[in-house]
Amino acid sequence: MASASPQNVISVSAACVARVSGLLVALVVTLGAIPAQADQLVFGSFKAADNASNWAKKLSQLFAREIEVSPVTRDGTTLYRVHSRALDPAQMEQLRRRATAAGIEHWRLLQTDSAPVEAVAAEPTPPAAPRTPPRNEPQLGAPRLTPPSPVTETAPTGAVDDSPAASGGTRQSEWDLGLQTRTFAEEGVFGQDRFEGSISLEFEYFHGWDDDRQSVTVTPFVRVDSADSERTHGDLRELFYSRVGDNWDLHVGARRVFWGVTEFQHRVDIINQTDLVENIDMEDKLGQPMAQLTLVRDWGILDVYALLGHRERTFPGTDGRVRLPWRILDDDATYASGAEETRVDGAIRWSHHMGPFEVGLHHFSGTSREPLLVPELVGGEVVLRPHYPVIDQTGIDAQAFYGDWVFKLEGYTRSGFGDRHVAFNVGFERTLVGVFGTRADFGIVGEYLYDERDEEAVDTLFEHDIALGGRLHLNDFADTQALLGVIFDTEYDEYFVSLEASRRLTDTWQLALEGRVFAGGKDLRTTTPFGTLVQPEYKSAWLQADDYLQLELKKFL
Amino acid sequence: MTVDAADSPASLGRAVFEEADRRASDYRDLEVSLRMILRTANGRATERALRIRQLEVPDDADKVLVVFDTPANIRGTALLSHGHRFSPDDQWLFLPALKRTKKIASRNKSGPFLGSEFSFEDLSAPALEKYAYRHLRDETLGEVECFVVERVSTEDFSGYTREVFWIDKREFRTQRVEYYDRRDTPLKRLEVSDYALYEEAFWKPRRMVMTNLRSHKSTELIWQDYTFGLGFTAERDFSVSSLRRAR
Repeated sequence: MASASPQNVISVSAACVARVSGLLVALVVTLGAIPAQADQLVFGSFKAADNASNWAKKLSQLFAREIEVSPVTRDGTTLYRVHSRALDPAQMEQLRRRATAAGIEHWRLLQTDSAPVEAVAAEPTPPAAPRTPPRNEPQLGAPRLTPPSPVTETAPTGAVDDSPAASGGTRQSEWDLGLQTRTFAEEGVFGQDRFEGSISLEFEYFHGWDDDRQSVTVTPFVRVDSADSERTHGDLRELFYSRVGDNWDLHVGARRVFWGVTEFQHRVDIINQTDLVENIDMEDKLGQPMAQLTLVRDWGILDVYALLGHRERTFPGTDGRVRLPWRILDDDATYASGAEETRVDGAIRWSHHMGPFEVGLHHFSGTSREPLLVPELVGGEVVLRPHYPVIDQTGIDAQAFYGDWVFKLEGYTRSGFGDRHVAFNVGFERTLVGVFGTRADFGIVGEYLYDERDEEAVDTLFEHDIALGGRLHLNDFADTQALLGVIFDTEYDEYFVSLEASRRLTDTWQLALEGRVFAGGKDLRTTTPFGTLVQPEYKSAWLQADDYLQLELKKFL
Repeated sequence: MTVDAADSPASLGRAVFEEADRRASDYRDLEVSLRMILRTANGRATERALRIRQLEVPDDADKVLVVFDTPANIRGTALLSHGHRFSPDDQWLFLPALKRTKKIASRNKSGPFLGSEFSFEDLSAPALEKYAYRHLRDETLGEVECFVVERVSTEDFSGYTREVFWIDKREFRTQRVEYYDRRDTPLKRLEVSDYALYEEAFWKPRRMVMTNLRSHKSTELIWQDYTFGLGFTAERDFSVSSLRRAR
């Protein structure tokens, strides 16, 4: 992978696509035939056979389709069910629409083969929990079924059914368009503009078949930025095939997986690489090619991952903001592993919940997601070259619930960055429902962020920091919410303020606001550029001019 | 189970709920689509769409999965609830932007659901064991003869001090509910209508209207396309890992 250009980023993704889609084709081919669907639509049931056959005759004329009557025995009573013949999903959808439009109540009887209706009605498919013995007639009240007319009491609503057909499979597609502006409080330290505008587009397509037991999900993403050529980039967030078994799932392809419980920093979340150029909150991630097997058992959920290759972290370019003073060779990293970015990494996570406790344990062995940034001279220019060590990380994420309090812990012990070290986040969240006599919820979050390496923790800004936040959710029509957080360093004066707020403008437009303030850090002019690399109190010095306000208008199509 | 008018108010109240529960039981699993129409006091309306899947669990309360379709900014969000008879229910929320599954405190179910007048508590069918019951009186609602039964949560997580149910004597269907706040004044009223019989056994409502008696806002719920016997299983369709792929 050579120089840093948007085309290059996209071609990296394309390489992953090729790798994954090869696997996909192989898998899909081996997965065999799809069982035929043959469901029926039922238009009510009658105690009197005559009433049923009259109703069936009427419906046959109305729909110009054969409508049949079958006896069904339930609770010792024989009823005459009026129903269609077995229908394929398209016919089913058509008949349901017509029935709804005509105001005729109906429900669907599911079958997985085209067995006669009587057999199915007596013992519906598929066999699951055993039926309990027939009920006794209640002592109070009339017999269960009295009406000689179809057993609906009032006219249906007449609404048109536009829900996806459950039989066969689901198709869903969605476009998310984002129009974003970032306005910085000051011009950048390197003369970067105060204003940055960008457009992003994400498309998500889901195609399921075999009752969604098998599916393909595709989510490409692209952003075009006015100022930073590195931020003009694309990624295949997802392209994976899923197979769902009775108590297991298999996913193969590029996906996104989240681990963790704390709010301010996601310390154990390691499966995906951070798309840092998107947002410094580290919550945007690059698609990670993988094969993931999930087992669901009485003793918990076990996820086993083979991570097929490594993605390099993205960084802002020289015209971008919120960056270090040196150019980062983010497409030309060095690796501790001889296999470089093609190393296959492994991860395993077990999680379980027991009463008020929830716990996850994990182990990751492979190339680190955080690089070391190593200064070197290239043609007289100081540049930073990312170096990715191989690490072993064993960690925990856990929560305990007590009333409206949640106590949280996530942390790990990790080797590969010097000596094995411990890092964790610990904290609480408390949600108050209906605060100040309103319908709003207010959540309070407090966390302590700790890294044993202290000042030598070069891959994180949070080594001994306290974080406090408040989350307000108005629960109004517009879904208005705001999250205000402050993280402050316990040893130096630096602190970081973040505000995120959003509200819906219409059903498909949303306005989101984001503000970041970096304060209390040392003044750049009191040291040399190299000094900022080695003196921990200067860790955030380069960000002090980068306070910004971001507005984003989102359209969901 | 029989319902005998000679019983004490407490045992008669419980018997009415037990009979209603018995009649709603053995459905095994279901899926239903909902349209939720939110109205302000002056009639401004906005709409949401969601789907609910439910699974009966032998000897435990139901498992419920709610998938949100619109408004578009919350599309793909899903809520999973594992009901329990003798301990607090478990609830998880799946946030699609982060692919994050977040377990949430039971307390959260008493807040407004999707900005509507319903709370999640109002929509779920909690275990019988979690309430104390009292038969208040009999009353005719329109032409429907009803038992009027009060229910008080024995957990700390309910948003109400008590709920009063009107349940018809013929089929044991809830016709009306009034919810009382801490000052014991009526906060909301739910009217349930358009019942239809499904699978020759289960009366299900197709229309609910919840009115806030203070703000006069209301939320209408249209339940449509009930489907039964989908063959859901706890592991495949209602596990915490299945929440990540809920559609």
